[in-house]
Amino acid sequence: MKNKIVLSLITVVPFVIGGCATNAHYVQTGDKEQIVSVGQINIQDYDNAANAAIKDMLDSSALSEALGHISNPPAVLAISLIRNNTGQQIDMNLLTKKIRIALNNSGKFVTTTTVGLGGKVEDPLAQGIQQKNEFMNDQQTTRSPDFSLSGNIIQTIDRSGDTRRSTYSFQLTLTDKQGLAVWEGEKEIGKQGTRPAVGF
Amino acid sequence: MKMRILLPLGFAAGLIVLSGCTTVNSVENADKEGQRNMVADTRAVTDSSLNRKVNIVGVNTSMTPGGLLKVQVELQNRTRSLQRFLYHFEWFDANGMQVNNVLSASVPDQIEGQESKFIFGIAPNPNCKDFRVKFIEAN
Repeated sequence: MKNKIVLSLITVVPFVIGGCATNAHYVQTGDKEQIVSVGQINIQDYDNAANAAIKDMLDSSALSEALGHISNPPAVLAISLIRNNTGQQIDMNLLTKKIRIALNNSGKFVTTTTVGLGGKVEDPLAQGIQQKNEFMNDQQTTRSPDFSLSGNIIQTIDRSGDTRRSTYSFQLTLTDKQGLAVWEGEKEIGKQGTRPAVGF
Repeated sequence: MKMRILLPLGFAAGLIVLSGCTTVNSVENADKEGQRNMVADTRAVTDSSLNRKVNIVGVNTSMTPGGLLKVQVELQNRTRSLQRFLYHFEWFDANGMQVNNVLSASVPDQIEGQESKFIFGIAPNPNCKDFRVKFIEAN
Protein backbone atom coordinates (compact mmCIF):
# COMPACT_ATOMS: atom_id res chain seq x y z
CA MET A 1 0.00 0.00 0.00
CA LYS A 2 2.82 2.36 1.05
CA ASN A 3 4.68 1.54 -2.13
CA LYS A 4 1.64 2.50 -4.17
CA ILE A 5 1.44 5.91 -2.49
CA VAL A 6 5.15 6.58 -2.97
CA LEU A 7 4.93 5.49 -6.60
CA SER A 8 1.96 7.80 -7.18
CA LEU A 9 3.82 10.71 -5.59
CA ILE A 10 6.88 10.09 -7.75
CA THR A 11 4.64 10.18 -10.82
CA VAL A 12 2.84 13.37 -9.80
CA VAL A 13 5.80 15.45 -8.49
CA PRO A 14 7.42 16.14 -11.93
CA PHE A 15 4.11 17.48 -13.22
CA VAL A 16 3.77 19.78 -10.20
CA ILE A 17 7.34 21.05 -10.64
CA GLY A 18 6.78 21.38 -14.39
CA GLY A 19 3.73 23.50 -13.67
CA CYS A 20 5.91 26.05 -11.85
CA ALA A 21 8.01 26.75 -14.94
CA THR A 22 7.19 30.03 -16.71
CA ASN A 23 5.84 29.73 -20.20
CA ALA A 24 7.41 32.89 -21.59
CA HIS A 25 6.71 33.51 -25.24
CA TYR A 26 6.39 36.39 -27.69
CA VAL A 27 2.95 37.74 -28.43
CA GLN A 28 1.61 40.07 -31.06
CA THR A 29 -0.08 43.26 -29.89
CA GLY A 30 -3.80 42.91 -30.26
CA ASP A 31 -3.85 39.14 -30.68
CA LYS A 32 -6.63 37.01 -29.18
CA GLU A 33 -4.56 36.33 -26.04
CA GLN A 34 -4.58 40.01 -25.12
CA ILE A 35 -4.97 41.02 -21.49
CA VAL A 36 -7.91 43.29 -20.78
CA SER A 37 -7.76 45.38 -17.59
CA VAL A 38 -10.82 47.32 -16.50
CA GLY A 39 -8.88 49.81 -14.38
CA GLN A 40 -6.23 50.79 -16.89
CA ILE A 41 -5.60 51.49 -20.54
CA ASN A 42 -4.05 48.47 -22.26
CA ILE A 43 -1.68 48.75 -25.20
CA GLN A 44 -4.38 47.55 -27.63
CA ASP A 45 -6.61 50.42 -26.47
CA TYR A 46 -4.07 52.96 -27.74
CA ASP A 47 -3.93 51.00 -31.01
CA ASN A 48 -7.70 51.03 -31.36
CA ALA A 49 -8.02 54.71 -30.49
CA ALA A 50 -5.25 55.64 -32.92
CA ASN A 51 -6.73 53.37 -35.59
CA ALA A 52 -10.14 55.02 -35.28
CA ALA A 53 -8.65 58.53 -35.33
CA ILE A 54 -6.52 57.84 -38.40
CA LYS A 55 -9.38 56.25 -40.35
CA ASP A 56 -11.59 59.17 -39.45
CA MET A 57 -8.96 61.75 -40.43
CA LEU A 58 -8.12 60.13 -43.74
CA ASP A 59 -11.82 59.86 -44.58
CA SER A 60 -12.70 63.44 -43.62
CA SER A 61 -13.91 65.71 -46.43
CA ALA A 62 -13.29 68.84 -44.36
CA LEU A 63 -9.71 67.85 -43.65
CA SER A 64 -9.17 66.91 -47.28
CA GLU A 65 -10.40 70.36 -48.31
CA ALA A 66 -8.16 72.05 -45.72
CA LEU A 67 -5.19 70.06 -47.04
CA GLY A 68 -6.05 71.28 -50.54
CA HIS A 69 -5.37 74.84 -49.43
CA ILE A 70 -1.81 74.07 -48.30
CA SER A 71 0.50 75.90 -50.70
CA ASN A 72 3.42 73.45 -50.48
CA PRO A 73 2.27 70.00 -49.40
CA PRO A 74 2.70 67.89 -47.37
CA ALA A 75 1.20 69.83 -44.47
CA VAL A 76 3.28 70.38 -41.34
CA LEU A 77 1.80 68.95 -38.16
CA ALA A 78 2.77 69.98 -34.63
CA ILE A 79 1.81 68.00 -31.56
CA SER A 80 0.15 70.17 -28.96
CA LEU A 81 -1.22 69.35 -25.52
CA ILE A 82 -3.10 66.12 -24.98
CA ARG A 83 -4.55 66.25 -21.48
CA ASN A 84 -4.61 63.17 -19.32
CA ASN A 85 -7.80 63.20 -17.28
CA THR A 86 -7.47 59.61 -16.11
CA GLY A 87 -6.21 58.27 -12.82
CA GLN A 88 -3.10 56.78 -14.36
CA GLN A 89 0.17 57.99 -15.75
CA ILE A 90 0.20 57.89 -19.53
CA ASP A 91 3.00 58.34 -22.03
CA MET A 92 1.16 60.21 -24.78
CA ASN A 93 3.59 58.90 -27.38
CA LEU A 94 1.73 55.58 -27.20
CA LEU A 95 -1.18 57.36 -28.85
CA THR A 96 0.38 60.19 -30.85
CA LYS A 97 3.28 58.29 -32.37
CA LYS A 98 0.98 55.86 -34.18
CA ILE A 99 -1.07 58.75 -35.53
CA ARG A 100 2.08 60.57 -36.62
CA ILE A 101 3.49 57.52 -38.38
CA ALA A 102 0.21 56.81 -40.17
CA LEU A 103 -0.21 60.43 -41.28
CA ASN A 104 3.40 60.53 -42.40
CA ASN A 105 2.97 57.27 -44.36
CA SER A 106 -0.12 58.69 -46.04
CA GLY A 107 2.09 61.32 -47.67
CA LYS A 108 -0.23 64.10 -46.56
CA PHE A 109 1.56 65.25 -43.40
CA VAL A 110 5.03 65.64 -41.97
CA THR A 111 5.51 66.28 -38.26
CA THR A 112 7.80 68.99 -36.98
CA THR A 113 10.19 67.98 -34.22
CA THR A 114 11.60 71.48 -33.75
CA VAL A 115 8.41 73.25 -32.71
CA GLY A 116 6.92 72.29 -29.39
CA LEU A 117 4.48 73.44 -26.77
CA GLY A 118 6.02 76.08 -24.46
CA GLY A 119 9.28 75.98 -26.41
CA LYS A 120 9.90 72.35 -25.44
CA VAL A 121 10.99 70.70 -28.64
CA GLU A 122 11.16 66.99 -29.36
CA ASP A 123 14.57 67.11 -30.98
CA PRO A 124 16.81 69.88 -29.54
CA LEU A 125 19.73 68.84 -31.76
CA ALA A 126 17.64 69.24 -34.92
CA GLN A 127 16.54 72.65 -33.67
CA GLY A 128 20.17 73.65 -33.07
CA ILE A 129 21.16 72.56 -36.59
CA GLN A 130 18.20 74.41 -38.06
CA GLN A 131 19.02 77.61 -36.15
CA LYS A 132 22.68 77.39 -37.15
CA ASN A 133 21.73 76.98 -40.82
CA GLU A 134 19.40 79.94 -40.61
CA PHE A 135 22.18 82.06 -39.05
CA MET A 136 24.78 80.96 -41.61
CA ASN A 137 22.53 81.50 -44.61
CA ASP A 138 20.93 84.58 -43.09
CA GLN A 139 17.45 83.40 -44.03
CA GLN A 140 14.58 81.81 -42.19
CA THR A 141 13.94 78.22 -43.19
CA THR A 142 11.60 77.29 -40.34
CA ARG A 143 8.21 76.32 -41.68
CA SER A 144 5.49 77.11 -39.23
CA PRO A 145 3.04 74.26 -38.61
CA ASP A 146 -0.11 74.16 -40.72
CA PHE A 147 -1.99 72.05 -38.17
CA SER A 148 -1.69 71.18 -34.51
CA LEU A 149 -3.02 68.06 -32.81
CA SER A 150 -4.50 68.39 -29.34
CA GLY A 151 -6.90 66.38 -27.24
CA ASN A 152 -8.02 64.74 -24.03
CA ILE A 153 -8.10 61.26 -22.59
CA ILE A 154 -10.93 60.98 -20.09
CA GLN A 155 -11.81 58.08 -17.83
CA THR A 156 -15.25 57.55 -16.33
CA ILE A 157 -15.91 54.77 -13.85
CA ASP A 158 -19.28 53.20 -13.11
CA ARG A 159 -19.87 50.66 -10.37
CA SER A 160 -22.81 48.48 -9.57
CA GLY A 161 -22.24 45.87 -6.89
CA ASP A 162 -19.13 43.92 -7.86
CA THR A 163 -19.40 44.98 -11.48
CA ARG A 164 -17.12 47.77 -12.57
CA ARG A 165 -17.06 49.55 -15.91
CA SER A 166 -14.41 51.97 -17.13
CA THR A 167 -14.92 54.05 -20.23
CA TYR A 168 -11.96 55.80 -21.78
CA SER A 169 -12.74 58.62 -24.18
CA PHE A 170 -9.97 59.54 -26.58
CA GLN A 171 -10.82 62.98 -27.96
CA LEU A 172 -8.60 64.53 -30.60
CA THR A 173 -8.75 67.82 -32.49
CA LEU A 174 -6.80 69.04 -35.50
CA THR A 175 -6.64 72.82 -35.62
CA ASP A 176 -5.48 74.84 -38.63
CA LYS A 177 -3.41 78.04 -38.75
CA GLN A 178 -6.54 80.17 -38.39
CA GLY A 179 -7.41 78.48 -35.13
CA LEU A 180 -10.30 76.49 -36.59
CA ALA A 181 -10.85 72.86 -35.71
CA VAL A 182 -10.91 71.23 -39.16
CA TRP A 183 -11.25 67.74 -37.77
CA GLU A 184 -12.44 66.37 -34.45
CA GLY A 185 -12.73 62.76 -33.46
CA GLU A 186 -13.69 60.73 -30.47
CA LYS A 187 -13.27 57.06 -29.72
CA GLU A 188 -14.78 55.53 -26.62
CA ILE A 189 -13.39 52.28 -25.29
CA GLY A 190 -15.51 50.63 -22.61
CA LYS A 191 -14.36 47.74 -20.44
CA GLN A 192 -16.35 45.86 -17.86
CA GLY A 193 -15.46 43.26 -15.29
CA THR A 194 -16.20 42.05 -11.82
CA ARG A 195 -14.06 42.74 -8.78
CA PRO A 196 -12.25 39.64 -7.54
CA ALA A 197 -13.67 38.08 -4.37
CA VAL A 198 -10.20 38.11 -2.79
CA GLY A 199 -7.74 40.94 -3.21
CA PHE A 200 -7.47 44.67 -2.92
CA MET B 1 -39.62 13.95 -6.53
CA LYS B 2 -38.10 13.88 -10.01
CA MET B 3 -40.37 16.69 -11.13
CA ARG B 4 -39.31 18.80 -8.16
CA ILE B 5 -35.68 18.59 -9.27
CA LEU B 6 -36.22 18.76 -13.02
CA LEU B 7 -38.60 21.72 -13.06
CA PRO B 8 -36.28 24.27 -11.42
CA LEU B 9 -33.36 22.90 -13.41
CA GLY B 10 -35.25 23.28 -16.68
CA PHE B 11 -36.38 26.76 -15.70
CA ALA B 12 -32.80 27.79 -14.84
CA ALA B 13 -31.46 26.35 -18.08
CA GLY B 14 -34.16 28.19 -20.02
CA LEU B 15 -33.23 31.46 -18.34
CA ILE B 16 -29.56 30.98 -19.21
CA VAL B 17 -30.38 30.23 -22.85
CA LEU B 18 -32.75 33.19 -23.10
CA SER B 19 -30.36 35.65 -21.44
CA GLY B 20 -27.62 34.66 -23.92
CA CYS B 21 -29.80 35.68 -26.87
CA THR B 22 -30.00 39.29 -27.96
CA THR B 23 -31.09 39.94 -31.49
CA VAL B 24 -31.43 43.18 -33.39
CA ASN B 25 -34.42 44.61 -35.20
CA SER B 26 -33.63 47.12 -37.94
CA VAL B 27 -35.31 49.31 -40.54
CA GLU B 28 -33.87 51.00 -43.63
CA ASN B 29 -35.02 52.87 -46.72
CA ALA B 30 -36.28 50.45 -49.36
CA ASP B 31 -35.38 52.52 -52.43
CA LYS B 32 -31.67 53.05 -52.18
CA GLU B 33 -30.11 56.25 -53.55
CA GLY B 34 -26.55 55.06 -53.23
CA GLN B 35 -25.02 52.34 -55.36
CA ARG B 36 -22.47 50.12 -53.72
CA ASN B 37 -19.45 49.21 -55.81
CA MET B 38 -19.38 45.54 -54.87
CA VAL B 39 -16.15 43.69 -55.58
CA ALA B 40 -15.68 40.03 -56.37
CA ASP B 41 -13.95 38.41 -53.44
CA THR B 42 -11.96 35.27 -52.76
CA ARG B 43 -12.45 33.67 -49.38
CA ALA B 44 -10.24 31.31 -47.44
CA VAL B 45 -12.17 29.74 -44.59
CA THR B 46 -10.10 27.84 -42.06
CA ASP B 47 -12.28 28.52 -39.02
CA SER B 48 -15.62 27.13 -40.13
CA SER B 49 -17.04 27.70 -36.65
CA LEU B 50 -16.54 31.46 -36.94
CA ASN B 51 -17.72 31.43 -40.55
CA ARG B 52 -20.94 29.71 -39.53
CA LYS B 53 -21.55 32.35 -36.88
CA VAL B 54 -20.30 35.56 -38.51
CA ASN B 55 -20.79 35.46 -42.23
CA ILE B 56 -19.23 37.85 -44.77
CA VAL B 57 -22.12 39.15 -46.85
CA GLY B 58 -20.18 41.30 -49.28
CA VAL B 59 -17.32 43.68 -49.89
CA ASN B 60 -17.50 47.07 -51.57
CA THR B 61 -14.92 49.76 -52.21
CA SER B 62 -14.76 53.48 -52.82
CA MET B 63 -12.15 56.24 -52.67
CA THR B 64 -11.76 58.72 -49.81
CA PRO B 65 -11.79 62.47 -50.60
CA GLY B 66 -8.00 62.30 -50.32
CA GLY B 67 -7.71 59.51 -52.91
CA LEU B 68 -7.17 56.53 -50.64
CA LEU B 69 -8.82 53.15 -51.14
CA LYS B 70 -11.65 52.55 -48.70
CA VAL B 71 -12.96 49.03 -48.17
CA GLN B 72 -16.22 48.19 -46.48
CA VAL B 73 -17.14 44.65 -45.45
CA GLU B 74 -20.69 43.70 -44.53
CA LEU B 75 -20.99 41.03 -41.85
CA GLN B 76 -23.97 39.16 -40.56
CA ASN B 77 -24.30 37.26 -37.33
CA ARG B 78 -26.20 34.11 -38.21
CA THR B 79 -26.64 33.09 -34.60
CA ARG B 80 -29.03 34.52 -32.02
CA SER B 81 -26.28 35.43 -29.55
CA LEU B 82 -23.60 38.10 -29.41
CA GLN B 83 -20.37 37.15 -31.16
CA ARG B 84 -16.95 38.68 -30.51
CA PHE B 85 -14.24 38.68 -33.12
CA LEU B 86 -11.02 40.41 -34.14
CA TYR B 87 -10.22 41.68 -37.61
CA HIS B 88 -7.39 43.37 -39.35
CA PHE B 89 -6.71 44.77 -42.77
CA GLU B 90 -3.62 44.08 -44.85
CA TRP B 91 -2.78 46.30 -47.81
CA PHE B 92 -0.85 45.60 -51.00
CA ASP B 93 0.64 47.84 -53.67
CA ALA B 94 0.36 47.48 -57.47
CA ASN B 95 3.15 44.88 -57.43
CA GLY B 96 1.39 42.79 -54.83
CA MET B 97 3.87 43.76 -52.13
CA GLN B 98 2.45 44.20 -48.65
CA VAL B 99 2.50 47.80 -47.50
CA ASN B 100 3.81 48.40 -44.01
CA ASN B 101 1.04 49.60 -41.79
CA VAL B 102 1.64 51.00 -38.32
CA LEU B 103 -1.77 49.78 -37.27
CA SER B 104 -1.23 46.10 -37.95
CA ALA B 105 -2.84 45.01 -34.69
CA SER B 106 -6.24 43.39 -34.80
CA VAL B 107 -9.33 45.44 -34.00
CA PRO B 108 -11.72 43.85 -31.49
CA ASP B 109 -15.36 44.05 -32.45
CA GLN B 110 -18.66 42.43 -31.62
CA ILE B 111 -21.94 41.80 -33.36
CA GLU B 112 -25.34 41.17 -31.81
CA GLY B 113 -27.49 38.17 -32.68
CA GLN B 114 -28.86 38.29 -36.25
CA GLU B 115 -27.32 41.75 -36.66
CA SER B 116 -25.87 42.96 -39.91
CA LYS B 117 -23.04 45.46 -39.58
CA PHE B 118 -20.24 47.05 -41.56
CA ILE B 119 -16.56 47.33 -40.79
CA PHE B 120 -14.24 49.43 -42.89
CA GLY B 121 -10.59 50.06 -43.49
CA ILE B 122 -8.71 52.83 -45.25
CA ALA B 123 -5.49 52.21 -47.14
CA PRO B 124 -2.45 53.73 -45.44
CA ASN B 125 -1.30 55.46 -48.65
CA PRO B 126 -2.40 56.08 -52.26
CA ASN B 127 -0.15 53.28 -53.59
CA CYS B 128 -2.35 50.60 -52.03
CA LYS B 129 -4.41 48.82 -54.65
CA ASP B 130 -5.42 45.52 -53.05
CA PHE B 131 -6.40 44.33 -49.61
CA ARG B 132 -7.06 41.33 -47.43
CA VAL B 133 -9.16 41.21 -44.27
CA LYS B 134 -8.52 38.58 -41.61
CA PHE B 135 -11.05 37.51 -39.00
CA ILE B 136 -10.33 35.64 -35.79
CA GLU B 137 -12.85 34.50 -33.22
CA ALA B 138 -12.17 36.23 -29.92
CA ASN B 139 -11.83 34.31 -26.67
